[in-house]
Amino acid sequence: MRRYVTNPMISKELRQRLRERRSWLLPTLYLIVLSGIVVCVYYFSTDTGRRLRGAEVQGADIGQAIFLAVVFTQIIVLLLMGPVFSSGAITIEREQRTLAGLLTSLLTAPQIWWGKFVAALLYLLLLLTSAIPLLALSFAFGGVGPLDLVKAIGSTILTLASICTIGLWCSATFRRSVHATASCYAIVLVLTIVTAISFGMLYAHWQQSHPEDMGPPAYIQAPLFLNPLYPLLTLTDDNGFRFYVYSTSSWLLFAALGCLAAAFAMRRLRRCGEQL
Amino acid sequence: MIEIAALRKSYRKSRGLDGFSLGLENNELVGLVGPNGAGKTTLIKILATLLPADSGSVRVSGHDVSTEPMAVRASLGYLPDVAGIYQDMRIGEFLEFFADAFRLKEPQRTTAVERALERAGLVDRRNDFVEHLSLGWKQRLLISKILLHEPKLLLLDEPATGLDPLARIQLREQLKRLHTEGVTILISSHILSDLEDICTRIVFIAEGKNVLESQTAALGPGARAAAIRCELEFEGSIDDVDRVMASFSGAQVLERKNSFLLVEMPGGSKEASGLLRTLLDAGITIVHFDARGPGLEERYRRTFGEHGR
Repeated sequence: MRRYVTNPMISKELRQRLRERRSWLLPTLYLIVLSGIVVCVYYFSTDTGRRLRGAEVQGADIGQAIFLAVVFTQIIVLLLMGPVFSSGAITIEREQRTLAGLLTSLLTAPQIWWGKFVAALLYLLLLLTSAIPLLALSFAFGGVGPLDLVKAIGSTILTLASICTIGLWCSATFRRSVHATASCYAIVLVLTIVTAISFGMLYAHWQQSHPEDMGPPAYIQAPLFLNPLYPLLTLTDDNGFRFYVYSTSSWLLFAALGCLAAAFAMRRLRRCGEQL
Repeated sequence: MIEIAALRKSYRKSRGLDGFSLGLENNELVGLVGPNGAGKTTLIKILATLLPADSGSVRVSGHDVSTEPMAVRASLGYLPDVAGIYQDMRIGEFLEFFADAFRLKEPQRTTAVERALERAGLVDRRNDFVEHLSLGWKQRLLISKILLHEPKLLLLDEPATGLDPLARIQLREQLKRLHTEGVTILISSHILSDLEDICTRIVFIAEGKNVLESQTAALGPGARAAAIRCELEFEGSIDDVDRVMASFSGAQVLERKNSFLLVEMPGGSKEASGLLRTLLDAGITIVHFDARGPGLEERYRRTFGEHGR
């Protein structure tokens, strides 16, 4: 176990990653985008919102609007960045012809995988934590509690970890970074868009036969359990029971997906010698 | 050090190795020679635990490569034909990373890194980025890297590819030095003159099979052959030469082409001098005499004339 904590791959990967120009460029752009979103949401919640509704705006409404806008923007941005950092991790070793050196060292395939996974996830976590002050702005307006913050961040981390394992599986499977990255994006698109369309179709069909029911049952929502945005959607749900049951189902599915992708990636990594 | 028996490896459309067998004793420096696609890289990859064999047995330092890959990796250093290097790391960091990858603990880790820097001649450049090194220096760094954990066996696949003549000479000297330090080396190369210069034994491989094995005059006690081959070119009548050959004890003409002869006889350079003296005494004009016999290049041409592509 100690070998996984003191894994030399982690420090090597982080060192190389932080030497890239994008290591400081991306967080800068990321925070600029999120700040822009916060300013826009604040503006629309106060000025435009008041004009449109002709009513007094509550601080809690602004707080919730900022919180949800930041949470959803960051998961969408991070879902776009996840494949970039994970799906090139092993293919780059193959392209640089350095993989043979790793595979003939005393590093095991799980150790190599773990080093790559932790380095990719840590960078995404760096972006995630850098946005916490922006998320915390919503506390000043009210309507959002620390538990909401914990749930949002925890859910985002789990989703990103699963996406990273899928990216690493693509990286171990394909020879070229471009193919691995494209495949990972395709999987992310399927998870976000195809599941949403499937739900929409099922829901429309179900609503025709149950016009008076308030909300769809779990089996209609099932495709959404594989949607990376779904656990965050349930954050806004007032029904705490539904949040925990549905979110937990989604988290468990993502965890299972991640474990499966990790197992297949390590298996591929062990057989990488044939492709060198 | 290495025991290979009836090794077979097939790819989808081709056969990599077809019943190849080889044994390497400790402190041998063996060259692996063959045309492209002969199975050299496949063999080295199997030894380096990168490729699984279809059948046959391979043991390195007494460990089976398929069941004890970690023990095998701990005992060998492998340099692939096109070895990659982390360009964005500093030289010291690069060596430290691989020292950690080979699970070296302090203080051995620091000692190993320092020794590797000395071996590569890069002590003063430890903080330079690897990308600033020339190809020759990178190759020296890579060889130092694979020696970090002090392996007893080195597997080198085309290590001189792309090197300039000076870097090649330095590489040869480095390999000779390692050999004298007791490291066993299996080296695959197309640069036959280099192999001839440093190897104690040459193994010829074609279509995944053993084709020929020969000792070289290079290093080590194993290099002394029981017979010597002489190439000679003369002017005059072939009958006079044949008469001298017939009178010279044990001399056997292996090849004859116009005024060129390849002769094999028991003994060494002393006996070869005797043959030359006898020929001159018989009044035959010798325009070329080479007691080293056919070089590796010539043997390669003869061996792979039929297998070459």
